[in-house]
Amino acid sequence: MGKKGERKAMRPSNGLTRREFLTITGAGLAGASLLGISGCGQEGPSGGAAGGDVWKQFKGTTLQFISENTPPTAAIAANLKPFKELTGIDVKITQIELGALVEKVALDFGAGEGQYQIIYADPYQVLAPYYQGLAELNAFNEDDSLPSIPKGTGDFIPTQLDAAGKFESEEELYALAYDAPTMIWMYRKDLFEKYGPQMEQDLGFDPKPSDSSTWDQYYQIAEWFNDNANEVKYGTGHQAKQYDSLMCDFSNILWAYGGDYFENGVEVGRLGSEDPGPAQLDQPKALEAAEFYNKLLSIAHPGSTTWDWNGVDEAFRAGELAMTPNWHEFAAGIETSDLGGKVGYTRLPTGPARVADMYGGTGIGINSGAPEDEQRAAWLFLVWATSPQTQRMGLFSEEGGGTPTRQSVYDMPEVQKAKTRPSDAPNMLTADAVFKAWESQNIGLRPKIQQWNECDTIIFTELSKMLAADKSPEQAMQDAKESFDRATGAA
Amino acid sequence: MSVARTDKDRGLNRLLRMPSFGVRMMLPALLLLAALSIFPFLFIVWMSFNEVSPIGGLSFEWVGLENWVNLFADPAVRSSWMISAIYFVATVGLEMFLGIAVALLIHEVVWGKNLALSLFLMPIFIAPVMVGLLGRFLVDPTYGLYAWVLNATGIFTKNILGSGESALVAVILMDVWEWTPLVTIIVLAGLSSMPDEVIQAARVDGASYWQRLRYIVMPLISGVVIVALLVRSMDAIRFFDIIFITTNGGPADATKIIPIRLYETAFRFFDLGYAAAIGLGMLAFSIVIANLFLRILKAQGLAR
Repeated sequence: MGKKGERKAMRPSNGLTRREFLTITGAGLAGASLLGISGCGQEGPSGGAAGGDVWKQFKGTTLQFISENTPPTAAIAANLKPFKELTGIDVKITQIELGALVEKVALDFGAGEGQYQIIYADPYQVLAPYYQGLAELNAFNEDDSLPSIPKGTGDFIPTQLDAAGKFESEEELYALAYDAPTMIWMYRKDLFEKYGPQMEQDLGFDPKPSDSSTWDQYYQIAEWFNDNANEVKYGTGHQAKQYDSLMCDFSNILWAYGGDYFENGVEVGRLGSEDPGPAQLDQPKALEAAEFYNKLLSIAHPGSTTWDWNGVDEAFRAGELAMTPNWHEFAAGIETSDLGGKVGYTRLPTGPARVADMYGGTGIGINSGAPEDEQRAAWLFLVWATSPQTQRMGLFSEEGGGTPTRQSVYDMPEVQKAKTRPSDAPNMLTADAVFKAWESQNIGLRPKIQQWNECDTIIFTELSKMLAADKSPEQAMQDAKESFDRATGAA
Repeated sequence: MSVARTDKDRGLNRLLRMPSFGVRMMLPALLLLAALSIFPFLFIVWMSFNEVSPIGGLSFEWVGLENWVNLFADPAVRSSWMISAIYFVATVGLEMFLGIAVALLIHEVVWGKNLALSLFLMPIFIAPVMVGLLGRFLVDPTYGLYAWVLNATGIFTKNILGSGESALVAVILMDVWEWTPLVTIIVLAGLSSMPDEVIQAARVDGASYWQRLRYIVMPLISGVVIVALLVRSMDAIRFFDIIFITTNGGPADATKIIPIRLYETAFRFFDLGYAAAIGLGMLAFSIVIANLFLRILKAQGLAR
């Protein structure tokens, strides 16, 4: 995602105190391993984390962490004291908008200065083009003098670790999965309950959003709301501004219709590729997807072409829309707004080929240009920041917190409890939807290629021309394909 | 042969001789200028003949004139220049017209002049990014006041930033709102420095307001008007913030002026060589415009 400004949602004030955190993580137990969790490791090397000294060996070091201004980082920034007490390391966090982050990181890599030791490594804008600037993490994880990943890498949601942490190789790991925004279908449950029978009678199918709902039905439901419901202005709204959000919104439909950006698109999305081959956007299935998207947007709220994910969220919360595809982490804000309790969340509709829910997660990695000791100190931060207890802390944090990337966090009883209303962690209300979305056959992964920034701009510009300047879907896809091929060198 | 050597030695001596006192005094400033401007400029020129990539460490690959050929052959860049030209003429034209008109009006105000001027000048003190955010808020289809008024009155019922023409008009008006007061204050300075007796004499001779304006006031303030035009033109060429915040160049590239294209090429695609060529193109355009206005000033005897 690029993302997620409004996810700084209010949360019930049951965030962990420092004492609770130290107790849970074990930092208060002298000489004990904090996060090594020996005996619990599934894949992680054993013994590496033993002894309290491993956490103190870089005492006095100062690290710079550059991150997009996202809820997980906001939560960590507000709760850094336990890490300082555990390690004696100072972490300075720079939180900025993703575009500015990519600029700074690229220039830092170019200069080879290692100014930022810890990097929020967006898979598409940082990892794919600059993976050579990131340190390979298995070396740290297997180093006996450093703590290893608690519960091992196997505790991360597999599709997320692949997408956020790897490039071209199954073995090499450049980042640990850090956040996991995913696009899902958000709908006004109250309106579906009120109009359900009438809609069913008019449309001839059960309109209640479910795993069997299709994009074609989504279109019909949206049109029905346009014509029949006074509570909302439009049935659907989309993040179709000439921006990254437009690519995200369209890609769900592209994949659902069986189209893709490149041949073998699933693997190009999961592991990435330096040579993805010619673009496939001129293929019939991609064209069919573009035609449907154009049709869908023609009945959507007209504001759609100026909204990114924040804009569509604001419109949804303002009661203008009956449903929308948006990032699941917006649920936290929705549940604390006037719409709290009135919204349902489910997987995106299915298309003729499959279901696809765009994944927008990110990992954190280590700058290989930094001095070795600083890289090792940065590893301690990575282990701590992605540990189950820190993720749990983030989930319940008043600062927002995003959503965990580890299975063990979702298995915690208090996290399970938060899946139902009233919830202490409203994002967990979307858990059923996102867990289905993260299954390997459902997850929507955009191409992880070095030229993605350019290709992203090409596709959202062509789509914008289709939506706002009456360019035909066929011409838009043809032009996008040709520009993709020029950008990737496949022309 | 010995004569030749003598000449050569003399030349060498001249070269090695301690620079004059004046040159030595200027040297620190010259070195600073070189560090801040000249070396970066030469570096950018060199970059424009290379493919420069930060991937895997900063790398340079000589490509000759390729970036410059692209600059003139790329239809997307041509389109951005066209939009920039429309934007330039519309913003600078409107700002000059309105700025002069308001300055003349405020100049005539007797009571509450300072209050009126203070209120009118307020937009200048707002950062352009904030103007963009404010503008985006006001035309937002969900809660924007202007969007609501235009829709309710039936004047414009579409999404303002959602179609190419209206989005371009909207960002032009945002710029005009912010920078017209700058023209006003510059012109007001010119109006205040006019000799009163000339105006009084014209009044005594029975000249109407329009005659005084046409034959006395405008010639007297033409110098400051051209200065205002120069200042606003230089700004308009490199205008960026409001469009970046409101439309990001969209929809359908309708507001993608050349600085937005430059930013995108440099900091989204990291095609730094091509971006250098685009930037130098902008610089050349700025120099042409600046020279044009300076010539006018010189022709009027207002500049040396």
